[in-house]
Amino acid sequence: MPSESKDAILAQHRANDDLNTPLLPQVARGDSDLAADGMRGPLDERIIAAASAALENGQTHYVDVPGIGPLRAAVADYLKGAATANYQEGNILITAGVQESRFLSIQMIGELYDSIALPAVIHPGVRKALGVRGRNPKTMSVDPAQGYLPSIDAIAQAAADGCRLFYLESPSRLSGAVYAADEVAAISQIIADNDAAVIWDQGLAPWVEGAYASPAALDSECARTATIGEAYSGMGLASWFVGYIAAPEAWVPSMQSQKQIMAICTSTASQYAALEAGQLYTEARGRQLSRLARLRADLLGAASEAGLTVVGGQAINIIALNLSADDMKKISRAGIDFAAGGLFGAPDVIRLNVNHSTAAALHALN
Amino acid sequence: MGKKKKAGTSLLYQLIGEARGYDDVIIMGRGDPDFDTPPHIVAAAKHAMIHHHNDYTPPQGLLPLRQAIAERVKRVNNIDVDPDTEVVVTNGGQEALFLMVLAVTSPGDEMIVPEPNYNTYADSLAFAGGVKVEVQTYAETDFRAHPQDVRDAITDKTRSLLLVSPNNPAASVIAPADMQEMLDIAVEHDLMILADDIYDLFVYDDFQHVSPASLPGGKERTLTLNALSKAYSMTGWRLGWIVGPADLMARVTELKAAVSGGASVISQYAGIAALTGPQDAVEMMAEAYRRRRRMVLDALDAMGMNYGMPQGGQFVFADIGFTGLDSAEVAQRMLTEQHVLAYPGSAFSKDRKDYLRMTFLQPEDQLLEGLERMKVAMDNIMAEKK
Repeated sequence: MPSESKDAILAQHRANDDLNTPLLPQVARGDSDLAADGMRGPLDERIIAAASAALENGQTHYVDVPGIGPLRAAVADYLKGAATANYQEGNILITAGVQESRFLSIQMIGELYDSIALPAVIHPGVRKALGVRGRNPKTMSVDPAQGYLPSIDAIAQAAADGCRLFYLESPSRLSGAVYAADEVAAISQIIADNDAAVIWDQGLAPWVEGAYASPAALDSECARTATIGEAYSGMGLASWFVGYIAAPEAWVPSMQSQKQIMAICTSTASQYAALEAGQLYTEARGRQLSRLARLRADLLGAASEAGLTVVGGQAINIIALNLSADDMKKISRAGIDFAAGGLFGAPDVIRLNVNHSTAAALHALN
Repeated sequence: MGKKKKAGTSLLYQLIGEARGYDDVIIMGRGDPDFDTPPHIVAAAKHAMIHHHNDYTPPQGLLPLRQAIAERVKRVNNIDVDPDTEVVVTNGGQEALFLMVLAVTSPGDEMIVPEPNYNTYADSLAFAGGVKVEVQTYAETDFRAHPQDVRDAITDKTRSLLLVSPNNPAASVIAPADMQEMLDIAVEHDLMILADDIYDLFVYDDFQHVSPASLPGGKERTLTLNALSKAYSMTGWRLGWIVGPADLMARVTELKAAVSGGASVISQYAGIAALTGPQDAVEMMAEAYRRRRRMVLDALDAMGMNYGMPQGGQFVFADIGFTGLDSAEVAQRMLTEQHVLAYPGSAFSKDRKDYLRMTFLQPEDQLLEGLERMKVAMDNIMAEKK
């Protein structure tokens, strides 16, 4: 029987372009899939042992909404080390992956502000999360020469236009480009001067070699910066969906309450696995960085020889290329999946994961 | 009590937080079965950690799990669904609930909700900008939701009808004839139905659970949720699902992707083992709940307390109006003085301040001890009243 009510729901759904934005896979669907957000990786036997032991010891029940205490403390410690941020356990909310981090932070911190400013080029999951309640963001223009990050001037202009909540990625989820320390200082100053706040996605920061700057480090009282990301990426847990939000204590209760409403808590097995991964992280990351750096250097050399334009970025787990539509088709015809820049807002760019299959994508262009 | 009055979810978490401070506390509040997850499911999770930890999962879930869910809802609920297009795996029943509400609700839309009801429905509806229209039910009629009351609540803004059977917290089961009439009303007024079947395996005496989507004309306008949490004692794994018509499920899939991406691949493999493996643990737990329910009812009868007969579910909704106190105060005193946690009715509905929800999800010795302590608390309250 026809239903006008359902037709109305479906018509509204079809018109919601943000909500219908495709989401990128969390890990590669096969060897020729270079589109994924996260990395496939070996899972250390100690992680398996820790997660198994937790389950066998009865950790199969609900746990605290914001996450198990030891993991929250470990993530706070990690952020202290990685971003010199002054977060404590009470600032941390463990989420069911970075997309839940995006959704919770955008929706709940967003309720505190009239508008949210986004870079014109941003991970598609951001617009998707915004599309759930159909909110229109203020768009900040981006600079292709800066890896498609908004310039400091663009951020300042958004503040001058009255925007008080900013969503920024560093590294860019498309190009891997990061803000330098002086730029982060300038962003922090804009935030403070305008009594504003920032949601700062630093999920790709572990793949930046050398220094990394975060506004959380300059927010000594942790009052204006919410940091989000995947927990211990590269440790083989991408499909286990563990993420975090580190936020001012004043913002945590509303996100915690919404987390309770949405999911009660994050999978216990995932949390205990992440806890163990945190113990092994420093050593494993060093090995991964070395491996990725070698692979990426080879790829950059091959790209240069092929006359390709690489978008500058410091996160070495990805490589972004400016390509024509014809060149993109060549890669597709070679059976290789890539993250289309169009999903981010940059249709002349593609993003490839850096792994042993990436060279095949470049060969397809020769 | 000297504490700021809280409502709904906040009130429950305040009580849970205090309960943690008592070594000898007996929890008769939260809907978390005392049984651990059956070993064969844990073993399947370990196997997945070794062999499938890197598997890609689409937002709607692994196909083998969706196939297992499709077989389950056909076998138990008599609902035919296509695992390719009509099943979405969720992070537990709670996320399923949230997504279902979001899927059919636009700001200003009204949802008819038989009360009392699980407080998260109101929270999710508020998030979506919808309006809850309550239809009251009463202990005297075992919290039956009368179809005529639903019909009377319909306005030109009504978009959906929520049917939770067995109900939480009142434990009523919608009788087959009433369910048919609810569906007839939904068809007549072009309403979407949100069906919460999470307690469908826990129905007592001669009562019968019917899924509205199983009735002719029901599936195309019904989203049905369920989860592994209660039936398989898998609350910590966060695995549930929604089934429904492909067109609405396409919207649910996008919402799932927007809210959290996918569900843990390890939980999903555990879920496959739960649904396709031996079911004797489910039977064992169901039998235990039948026994414990009887213990609780006997104890309440001995205390002279009224309740709506729990026809299903895992709890009893008992009338404490005779104390003359608000249920939040009674729950607080039971916790502080006797270290027994039961949930105040006011957390579920503003009109149920004279009810307590008690689960029977504890080992029997603890359950008996909890009921004894509850009697002491009630006796103390009544002695003060005199």
